[in-house]
Formats: sequence, structure tokens, C-alpha cells
Amino acid sequence: MVFAPMSTAELRDLLGSAAEQADEILATLRANRSHLPVAFPGLPRRFGKDAVGGGQRLFGEATVDLDAFRTCDLVAAYLVTSLEATEEEIVDVFAHGDIEERAMLFRCLNFMPLGNTTSRLLAEALRTNIVLHLEAAMCDSNLLARSIKTGTIDGDTGNRLLLKFAFLDMDLTRALKAETHANETLSTMLQDLATEREAAGRSVWKHTYLMLGHAVCPGALGRLIGGLEHGDDGVRHAAAQGLLAMRNNNQKLQPLLAQFAQERMPREPRDNVREMLQQLATN
Amino acid sequence: MLIFEPHIHMFSRITDDYEQLSLAGVRAVLEPAFWLGQNRTSVGTFIDYYETLIGWERHRAQQFGIHHFCTMGLNPREANNDSINRDVLAILPRYCEKDSCVGVGEIGLDDQTKTEEIMMSEQLELARNHNLPVLVHTPHRDKKKGFERCIAIVKEANFPMERVLLDHGNEETIKITRDLGCWSGFSIYPHTKMDPARMVSIVLEYGIERFVINSAADWGVSDPMMVPRTVVKLEQAGVPREKVEQLVWNNPIDFFAQSGRINQEMLAQPASANLRETFDGNSVLRGQDPDKM
Repeated sequence: MVFAPMSTAELRDLLGSAAEQADEILATLRANRSHLPVAFPGLPRRFGKDAVGGGQRLFGEATVDLDAFRTCDLVAAYLVTSLEATEEEIVDVFAHGDIEERAMLFRCLNFMPLGNTTSRLLAEALRTNIVLHLEAAMCDSNLLARSIKTGTIDGDTGNRLLLKFAFLDMDLTRALKAETHANETLSTMLQDLATEREAAGRSVWKHTYLMLGHAVCPGALGRLIGGLEHGDDGVRHAAAQGLLAMRNNNQKLQPLLAQFAQERMPREPRDNVREMLQQLATN
Repeated sequence: MLIFEPHIHMFSRITDDYEQLSLAGVRAVLEPAFWLGQNRTSVGTFIDYYETLIGWERHRAQQFGIHHFCTMGLNPREANNDSINRDVLAILPRYCEKDSCVGVGEIGLDDQTKTEEIMMSEQLELARNHNLPVLVHTPHRDKKKGFERCIAIVKEANFPMERVLLDHGNEETIKITRDLGCWSGFSIYPHTKMDPARMVSIVLEYGIERFVINSAADWGVSDPMMVPRTVVKLEQAGVPREKVEQLVWNNPIDFFAQSGRINQEMLAQPASANLRETFDGNSVLRGQDPDKM
């Protein structure tokens, strides 16, 4: 595993006043790297969990949203990348780590080369429904999208990770570029979950509509058009978004979708939904 | 009234206990690492147990709105096992650094052997290295002598008395510990050791300074509700409410706050509970609908 030296320098810059203390820990670890499992758990209480701030930033191929990354996450990433921690060292800390250690390690993946460590830890994410961990693993960065795109994780794992968003009602927009990995299999999984939820009288994950729009599966068109009549403003908005995505992917649907959009428009009370219907109604 | 239960082995308890504790006002529990009823045969089982304390058990407590803390240590009973005791001490530093670990314990004496004394001394050093207070188990047999020996070991180690909680005390031991500056714990049991009525008498005679009470509920005949029950008895006996609150809430927090990892502010709200969350794919719901819980 080769670490990009630039990223550790950039990470250090972002630490600001915490950099010196982080360097002290790093020096201890350089002298005795077996101390990593002892140093790691204390990072949140020593460096805090406040967001670093600064919005989205590029680190090589990685895009991370620093408004969601905490100081302790960046310190952890700084230590792990500076030490060039091995896959086994990282997996050991993860396996014996507490909830915060695991969250920090998921965040660290963004600053490391994609590889076995990424796939092993993302496989762990599949085994949990702890929102903190799923957010750390998949949100506020393009890690998931990069991992799928590069084949670091296989398509089935990618789909099941994306399905977690629906299961726990997480915001898909926080997984940067995730929608680019919409596919028919995932849409079918989302459609099935939505049907199951509706049968139980429960709400449907709103991003279902967008993903179905990006990758059509049997029943997708009916769900999206039906969504325009839903009593919930958010659902109608999501359905209109999905229909726009569907139209953009398949212009042959334009006349049909325009017909439904025009019929709905006069009855639609929300401006933001009406604007999208207007787009659907016109070429 | 909010309660911090400072010694309870939830590992051995069922979810009904968590629910009852929560309804009775128990906002936080402290689970000391302890003997599981039979001796372990390898260090690996200690690792898994410690990880349960920082993982699954913490998750379980949170599902009922209860904050879960622990102390880490090699209990005196198994300290006597020379085939594992050194290996267990070697793994403890990583667990002493965990966020929810607010002390070293249960350490102390049980059979009062030389090996137990060595292990207790070494774990006092462990606590010093990690800036943690210690929870000391005292023997149930020949208790007075055991208390005196524990105190002597603490003094020999020059460990600060205010960071020591000598647990499982009674009317006799309070006379030994009262002026030492250490903290005294009283484990209230349904039928043995210390009961609510005796605890009321102790409070009426000695007050509540540097006292904590606990249920020490475990795998044996014990009652996790003994602290709430004792609260009722104390109030019925005329102990002012603020003193009772000091005893069951402020005192345990003050003691474990010496770790720097716990404070009143973080306990102001119940632990957040998302019933959809699982830990390692496991849930307390056993298939029940989270929306109907």
C-alpha cells in the first residue's frame, strides 16, 4: 500500500492548533507502533468531536466534506497515513475498537488508497445499522462511489450498502455521486422495500423515487407517476425529481410524462414541485 | 430522582431489568469487569468480555435510554490464575483507554493471596498510567482483615485515596475507611450482605459524604432495583431528598468524573435510542417492529 505524501501534509495543515499534539502522539507511535491500539481510543476526548469545517475539499481522487468531518477523524487519518498503517494494523484497531474508533477508521478510508482495507471495512459497514458508522463510512465523501467505480467493492456489496440508506432513512445526497451507481438490480431492491413498507403502513425512503428514475425497473414508472398524487409534499417533489431523471435518460418517454405533468400542474400547490412539472411538460 | 447505579453487572441481566431501571430513574450504569461465575481458560475470553462491555452491552443499555460506563480490570479471583493473569494485564492498556471506561476495577482481594496482592498493586499502577480511579472489590470472607490489607496496598502504592472506591462495605468497615479520604461503596442485596434497612441506619449515623450505594446485581440471587428501593427507604426515614440525590446521583458521578471521561452535562439527557440500530447486526428487538416499541 503506497500512501500519497501530499495528503498527510494537507491533513496536518487542517489540524491547525491540534497539529502539535498530534505530532507528539505520532512521535510516540513512530517509536513504538504497537501503541496504536492504546493511542487510538482517546483521540475523540483529546481532540474533540467538533466539525473541522471548510466545506468540500479534494484529496487526490477523494472528495470529502469537512463540514461533517470531526477533528478527531482528521487526527486519526493523519496518524494512520503518516504511519502508513498496514491493513492488519487497521483491521485490528477496528475489530477491537469501540464505537468512536470504528467511526474514525471509516473516515480514515477517504485518505488512504483504495484497496483491501477499504473493502474489508466496508464489508463491516454492511453488518451494522449503527447510523454513526454508516454515515462515517458512506456519507460526506465520494468513498462509496469511488469504491464501486473502481471495483474495490463488487456491485452486489455496493447495492446492499446503498440499500442501507433506504433501510435507515439516511440522506442519499450525503453520499457524493452515489446516484451515478443506480442500476436496475438496486432499483428492484428499493421497489421491493418500498412495497413492503407501504404494506406495513410505513413511510417510503424519499430517494427511492430518484434512484428509480435513474435506473428503471419493473413498476418504476407507475410508482413515480403515482407519487405525483401523494399527499406528502416531499414525496411529490421526489417523484418529480425521479421523473425528470427518467426523462433525461430516455427521451422517448417525454410525450407520456409531459401528459401526466400537464394534468397535475394546475392542482399542484407547491412552487418547487410545479417548477419541475413545468420542466417535464416541456422539451 | 435521577440515579447513577455505580456497580451492576448487566452482562448477567435481561432486558426487563434495563426497562425497570429506566422507569425507576436510572439514567446511567457503571459495569465493572468481573468474574463470570466460572474461571476463564484463555486471554481470548477476557478480550471478548471486555469488548462486550464497550460494545454490545453499551448498545443494549442505550436502547433503554441508559448511559453505560464500565471499569476494566482483572478481578481478584482470576488474578490467582497464573496461566492467564500476566496475559490479561498485558491487554488491559488498550481497554483502559476506551471512552466508556471510567476506572480500573474490579481489582482487590478475594481469597487474600499473595498473587492477588501483586495483581492489585500492578493494576493500581495501570490506573495511575491511564489517570483513572479504581474500584476495589473487598473480600466477603474475613472482610475486616481484607479491608485493612486493601488499604495497606493502596498506601504502599502511594495511590491517591480520593481516587479509590472500596466497595462491598458494611457497618464494620465504615469505621476503618471513614477518615481515610477514600470512597465507600455499599452493595445492597435482597437477603444477604447489606440490606436497605441497614443502609438507612448507616446514612442516619454517618451521613452520605463519599458514599455510594449499588445493587452489584449479577448472575446470582440479586436485585438490580436495590438502589431505587433503598431511595424509597431513605426518604421514608426522613433523609432529605437532596441528600438522597447526592448519594445516588452526584456522588458516583463525582467519583468517576475523576477519569475526565464523564460529567453531569453528558448525562443531562437520556442515552439516545434508535431502535432501528443494530450492533454487529444484532438488535435487542428480536424481530419486533421498532415502530411499535
